[in-house]
Amino acid sequence: MVVSVNQLEKHYGVNRALGGVSLDVEPGTLFGLLGQNGAGKTTLIKILLGLVAPTAGEAFLLGQPVGTFSARREVGYLPEDHRLPEYHTSRSLLDLYGALQGLPRRDRSRRAAELLDLLGLAGREKLRIRGYSKGMKQRLGLAQALLHRPRVLFLDEPTDGVDPVGRKEIRDLLLEERRRGVTIFINSHLLGEVEQLCDRVAILRKGRLIVTGTVPELTRQKASWIVRFDRDPPASFHVPGTSLEAVDDSGTLRLVIDSIVTPAGPDGALDGFVVAAGAAGLRLRHLERERATLEDLYLRIAGEGGPT
Amino acid sequence: MSSQPEPAAPHGAPPARPTLPRTFAAMLRDTWREFLDAKVLYLLLLAIALLFGTALTGRIEPQPAGRQYLDIAARTLAADLEGVDLASETLGDVAGRFNGAIYAITTAEPLTSDLPDGRWKATLTRTFVPVVGVAEPSEELASRFGRIADGELWRVEEITETGSGWAREIGSQTWEMTVAPGRDLRLLWPHRFSLFRDGVELAGTKGAPLGLEVLILQKLLTTGLGGTILLLVSVAVTAAFVPNMVRKGTLELLLVRPIPRWQLLLFKYVGALLLVAGLLGLLILATWLITGILAGIWTPGVLLALPSLLLFFGLLLSVSVLTGVITRSVISAMLVTVAYWAVLFIAGQMNNVAVESRIREANVGKMRPVSIADSLRGKQPRREEPLKPGRKPFYQTAVGRTAEAIYSLLPHTEDLDNLVDRQLMRDYAVAGPFRALMESGEFSWRRGIVLTLLHTATFLAIACTIFARRDP
Ligand SMILES: Nc1ncnc2c1ncn2[C@@H]1O[C@H](COP(=O)(O)OP(=O)(O)OP(=O)(O)O)[C@@H](O)[C@H]1O
Ligand SMILES: [Mg+2]
Repeated sequence: MVVSVNQLEKHYGVNRALGGVSLDVEPGTLFGLLGQNGAGKTTLIKILLGLVAPTAGEAFLLGQPVGTFSARREVGYLPEDHRLPEYHTSRSLLDLYGALQGLPRRDRSRRAAELLDLLGLAGREKLRIRGYSKGMKQRLGLAQALLHRPRVLFLDEPTDGVDPVGRKEIRDLLLEERRRGVTIFINSHLLGEVEQLCDRVAILRKGRLIVTGTVPELTRQKASWIVRFDRDPPASFHVPGTSLEAVDDSGTLRLVIDSIVTPAGPDGALDGFVVAAGAAGLRLRHLERERATLEDLYLRIAGEGGPT
Repeated sequence: MSSQPEPAAPHGAPPARPTLPRTFAAMLRDTWREFLDAKVLYLLLLAIALLFGTALTGRIEPQPAGRQYLDIAARTLAADLEGVDLASETLGDVAGRFNGAIYAITTAEPLTSDLPDGRWKATLTRTFVPVVGVAEPSEELASRFGRIADGELWRVEEITETGSGWAREIGSQTWEMTVAPGRDLRLLWPHRFSLFRDGVELAGTKGAPLGLEVLILQKLLTTGLGGTILLLVSVAVTAAFVPNMVRKGTLELLLVRPIPRWQLLLFKYVGALLLVAGLLGLLILATWLITGILAGIWTPGVLLALPSLLLFFGLLLSVSVLTGVITRSVISAMLVTVAYWAVLFIAGQMNNVAVESRIREANVGKMRPVSIADSLRGKQPRREEPLKPGRKPFYQTAVGRTAEAIYSLLPHTEDLDNLVDRQLMRDYAVAGPFRALMESGEFSWRRGIVLTLLHTATFLAIACTIFARRDP
C-alpha cells in the first residue's frame, strides 16, 4: 500500500477534524478525496505528509510511519491556498525547493526547464512571482510538486483557479504521471473532474469516511433507467423493489431500482419489471440505462447536516 | 501494517538525499534574494558610497604647534615618568612624581617647518628648586626629553651643554639641542579637519589632536551613528524574514521537505547574519579607508568593530526570529526587537552611571582623571570631591540598584562596545571621558562575548523548538 491509515483521529482543541478514518490506497491509483468544507480532507493529507501530528491512530506512507525523511523524499505536495514566496522567480523557486529536496544543481535546472515548459510557464522566467496571475501560481505550485519525480503526489485542489484549457492540460499531465506508476491523491470540489480523472473516490463527512470505491461502483449504486411505454401505465401499476416517476409531460418515465432491497440485484429487478409490464399489457417503446453522476451521490451523502 | 512492501519506483533512479551544505547554500541564496527584494540594499550601498565620497572631500591639516609641544616636553621633565603607562594613568596621576628641578625652553626655532615632521633647534634651561641641587648629565637629559612614559613626542638628535661654572654644579644648566619628531608626536599634534575643500570646519580653527579626530571619526561611523543606522535598517529588513517564512501556505512547502525543521530556521538566521556581516564589513572597511586616506593612519583597531557589532546584531536577530516564530507578525518582530535594543541601551547606560558613581566614591580625595588630550590643552586635574552630606551615591539609590540588577540579567552588550572604544583609545593615545570607567575592571569583553552568545543561543533554541513542534 502507498497509503495506509488506521483509525486516524485529529482534534484541534475541542474541534474534531478527523474521527477515526481508515483507508488504504494501492500503488498507481489516482485517488480522489471529496467532502464539504471543513470535512477534514486537508487535515488528512497533512497528517500523511507528517506536517500535522495525529491525535490517535496510525498512518503509513510507502510503508513508513508518516513524517520520516525517507518517505518524504518521495512525496510531492501542492498545498491548498499556497503562497509561493513572492520575491522568487519561477526558476529560482524551483531551484530552492529542488535543493531542499536534495537534487543536484544540474538536475534542478534541467527538470525546472522541462516542467515550466510542460506547464506553459516557459518564457516568464525573469518575472517575480509577485507578478503572477492566480492560475500561473497554481501551475508553478504543481511544478514544484512534480520537481523531484515523486512516487506519491498529494494535490490539494490542484486546478483551483486554472482556466479550462489549463485544467485539461493538468488532467493529461496527471494521467501521464499515473501511467508511470505514480500514486496521486487529490482533494477537489470539482466533481466532474474527479469523475473523469480518478480511479477511486472517497467521501468524507465531518471527519468520517462515508464511502470509498471506484467511480463505476459508486455511481452504479443509484442506477436508473429512462422508460417509455406506448401509453401511460395505470396508477395501480407497481413492481416491488422499483418505483416510477414522471420526467416530463410527454410520457417519459424514470425507473428507479432500489438495489439494496432487491435480492436478485439491479439486473434481476429490471427483468422482473419488464415481465410485469408485459403482463399488464404495456408495450415498451424505449429503455435506456441512466447513469447517476458522482454529483448525485455526493449531494445525497456529503451534504447532510450542512458544512461542519 | 507497519511494514508494507514498497511499490517499485516509477522513475527508476533512487530518490535524491539533501545534504547539509546543499541545504545551507539553498537557504543562503533564498535569504539573499529576499534581502535584495527589499531594495534597501541599494540604498545602503548608496549611503556608504556617499559617506565615502563626502569624506574624501575632507582635508586634515597640521597647525603650527611645535613651540607649544616643546614646552610640554620641557615641563614634563620635572616629573619622573619612567615606566608610566599612559593608557592607564593620566598626567594628573603622575603629578606627584616631581623630581625637584624646573625645565624651560628659552629659544626655539624650526629647522625645516613648524609641522609634525619638522626638526627644531632649541635652548633648554634647568633651575633647581630650592636653588641647590646636582647637575644632570646631558645624555640622561637627552634620553628623557620628549618621552612621556611609553609615548615619544620628541627625539633629541644633538645636545651640547653651554653653561658652566658653579651655577652648573648646583644644577642650573643650559643646553643647545636639535630635536626631531618622536613616534607619537603626530597623533597628538593639533590638526584642522574640514570637509568639502575647507567648506565646513569640524575641529575649530586651532584644530584638535590628530588621534582624537581619527578616534571620533571612526567611532561615529562604526559603533556610533553609522553602525546604529545600519543595524536599525537591518533589523527592519530581517524582521520580515521569519514571519514571511512561517505564513500559512508558505510554511507547508518548506516543512514537507525531507530535512529537519530546525535547519530551515537556523539557516535562515545564519543567512541573514552573513548578509548583515557583509554590510557591516563594508561600512567598517570604508571607515578604515577614509581615516587611512585622510590622516594616513592605518592602525587596524577599528576593525574590531566588526565582531563587536556583529555579535550584537546576532543577539537582536535571535530576538527577532523568536518573536517572528511566536507571533508570525513582521510588525511585532520589529517592535519587540527594537524594544529589546532600547532596554539593553537604557539599562547599559544606567549601569554605567552606577559603576561610575561607585568608582567616584572609592576615589574621593584622589586626583580626578583628565584625558591626555585635555592635559595637553592645559586643563588642570582636579581632586574628586566627596558628595554633599546626606546624599547617597547613585549606585546605592533604589533606581541605581534596580538598574544594576536588571543589567546583571542582560547579556552585557556594553562590554562589546567598550572593547572597541578601549582599543581605539590605546591606538590613538587619547582618552575620552569614559576611560576611567572602562579601565576600571568593571568591564570584561570576554564576559560580554560569552553572555551575548549564551543569550543568542537560548533565544534561538527556544525558537527552533517551537518551530519544530507546532502544527503548521
Ligand atoms: N490549524 C487548525 N487549527 C484549528 N482547527 C483547524 C486547523 N486546521 C483545520 N482545522 C479544523 O479542522 C476541520 C477540518 O479542516 P480541513 O482543513 O481539513 O477541512 P477541508 O476538508 O480541507 O475543507 P476545505 O474543503 O474547506 O478545504 C475544520 O473544522 C477546521 O476548522
Ligand atoms: Mg482543504
